[in-house]
Amino acid sequence: MVAGFDHTLGVVAAGAAVLGATGGVLGSFAVLRRQSLLGDVLAHAALPGLCIGFLVGGRALPALMAGALVAGGLAALSVLAIGRFTRLKPDAALGIVLSVFFAGGVVLLSHVQASGGAGAAGLSAFLFGQAAAMLVGDVQAMALVGVVAVGLVAACWPWVKLVCFDPPYARALGVPVAAVEALLTLLMAMAIVVGLQMVGVVLMTAMLIAPAVAARAWVTRLMPMAALAAVFGIVAGVGGAVISAGARGLATGPVVVLIATALAALSLALAPGRGVVWRALRDRRLAARLEGDRVIGTLRALGAAHGDPGYRAEAGMIDAAHGTATARTLDRLAAAGMVREVSHAPESTRHWVLTDKGQAEPGPGRGGPG
Amino acid sequence: MNPDSLHEPHIALHVEDLTVAYRNAPVLWDIDLDVPPGVMCAVVGPNGAGKSTLLKAALGLVQPTAGHVRFFGLRYAKARSRVGYVPQRSTVDWDFPATALDVVEMGLYGRLGWFRRPGRAARAQALSALASVEMADFAGRPIADLSGGQQQRVFIARALVQDPDLYILDEPMAGVDAVTEAAIVALLKRLRDQGRTVIVVHHDLQTVQKYFDWLVMLNVRVIAQGPVAEVYTPENLRRAYGGRVALIGGAT
Repeated sequence: MVAGFDHTLGVVAAGAAVLGATGGVLGSFAVLRRQSLLGDVLAHAALPGLCIGFLVGGRALPALMAGALVAGGLAALSVLAIGRFTRLKPDAALGIVLSVFFAGGVVLLSHVQASGGAGAAGLSAFLFGQAAAMLVGDVQAMALVGVVAVGLVAACWPWVKLVCFDPPYARALGVPVAAVEALLTLLMAMAIVVGLQMVGVVLMTAMLIAPAVAARAWVTRLMPMAALAAVFGIVAGVGGAVISAGARGLATGPVVVLIATALAALSLALAPGRGVVWRALRDRRLAARLEGDRVIGTLRALGAAHGDPGYRAEAGMIDAAHGTATARTLDRLAAAGMVREVSHAPESTRHWVLTDKGQAEPGPGRGGPG
Repeated sequence: MNPDSLHEPHIALHVEDLTVAYRNAPVLWDIDLDVPPGVMCAVVGPNGAGKSTLLKAALGLVQPTAGHVRFFGLRYAKARSRVGYVPQRSTVDWDFPATALDVVEMGLYGRLGWFRRPGRAARAQALSALASVEMADFAGRPIADLSGGQQQRVFIARALVQDPDLYILDEPMAGVDAVTEAAIVALLKRLRDQGRTVIVVHHDLQTVQKYFDWLVMLNVRVIAQGPVAEVYTPENLRRAYGGRVALIGGAT
């Protein structure tokens, strides 16, 4: 019994890893080309394709995948056609195609289920995914599609990179941009097909967007971004599989999506250089250092004015020179050994002098305050 | 006539009867244009004059309604390797994950085929192109961290790496600092002095006489073209920038 449980977990985890890696790599291009929403359209459009695939080929995953791929392709062509022949804006075109295909899918789904047939009930699992029903053969099919998709990207890497960055320039160079873009759309549809059984059509787009967004926060080149997105996708997939296996009643797909999104949120907050929190901390550090430099400059100028580098400046005087309270800055400088608190009888207020280290400190305050 | 046969081969850029229309409204009307080799040519005109569209139509990025374009006598598809294009800097997302060197190397990707990748020589060529715009120190820098002027230099290096005979630049001086502008002009003049042809869409009338030796004034139609000294006249400027332009007959 325990061995059977582990086997199921192994299958689900392997499937989730394939999904995460494929979604991460192909999602990177979707995000960079601002085609994330097209991914959502392709995912929702897979539903009618799944139903037709079931009607034609039965419950076998390859038949369902083929149906989903064809439907995704038709949806992508519909978006292109609407953009070309009408004055509709792209977001409207995407929204319309998504709803029409998804509505058609739901109608087909209810029809298939009502007319019965073995396994028809299981089709609705593709709405939100049903990892537990995954078989070894399913994972093999997913892995095959994933390897082909990632392999094609790797084979066309330079053109893919150029077309993502600057399509008009690529056209001027003679690169077949339309073909490369069609290939990227096809590969995105393939990545979506890989994830249908795991996370389902409604949530699949998150597996394209979240790992890519998370990866972009940490790296500054395309190849590392795609690789890191694959790693994040795998972490989310396997993590979600393990968590939902350990707790009763947690659907695997949505847990995977939640982990992927959490990784993206953490990355957007913490990544060096781009993270919101990281930048806020850096700004505070820079502001504090600037303030410190200015206070040192003030002390130095006062020393120069009195012909005494060890001039004991009264705290209130320093505040007045800056027009703001400087006690915290002075305490920070004292902790850094730049200034020292001294008394200056008969006054009982706090006084400060520059230490030798503070005298030697270079900084923007060299020429005095202001 | 065979469209691949040589037509006006002694002219760097030859445009004849070119008309471009968006949704039936003409953006360019009946353009006849010849830019001789070895000149540094400015294309000037008011907003909406069709300057960028002229470049895009010449490079096959916009489908013309009528007319033809030849580079050194050849259709653009046959002359790609001799033409270097520098688009407007604002047309790409500079937050793209790439280094300056990555972007410059892209200038060589037109020579690749399907499933091919650039060799080590491409990297070296890209580095030397970056060096000639004084950006060698920034080769490994993410393009998102570059200033506007530095980004423009990277874009120019991407054209330089192709080593073309004709450079086509779309507003390279837009939004760059004075130092960068001077460096760009010096570089372009150097190219011109080496016998290359340089065509620049330019927005600053003040500097036309200082920077260029050939001038095309455009406002949907060609208002005037030729050596700057002959074309840069108050009369032509008034015709290009003042009032509306009639498509048929004389200018208003």
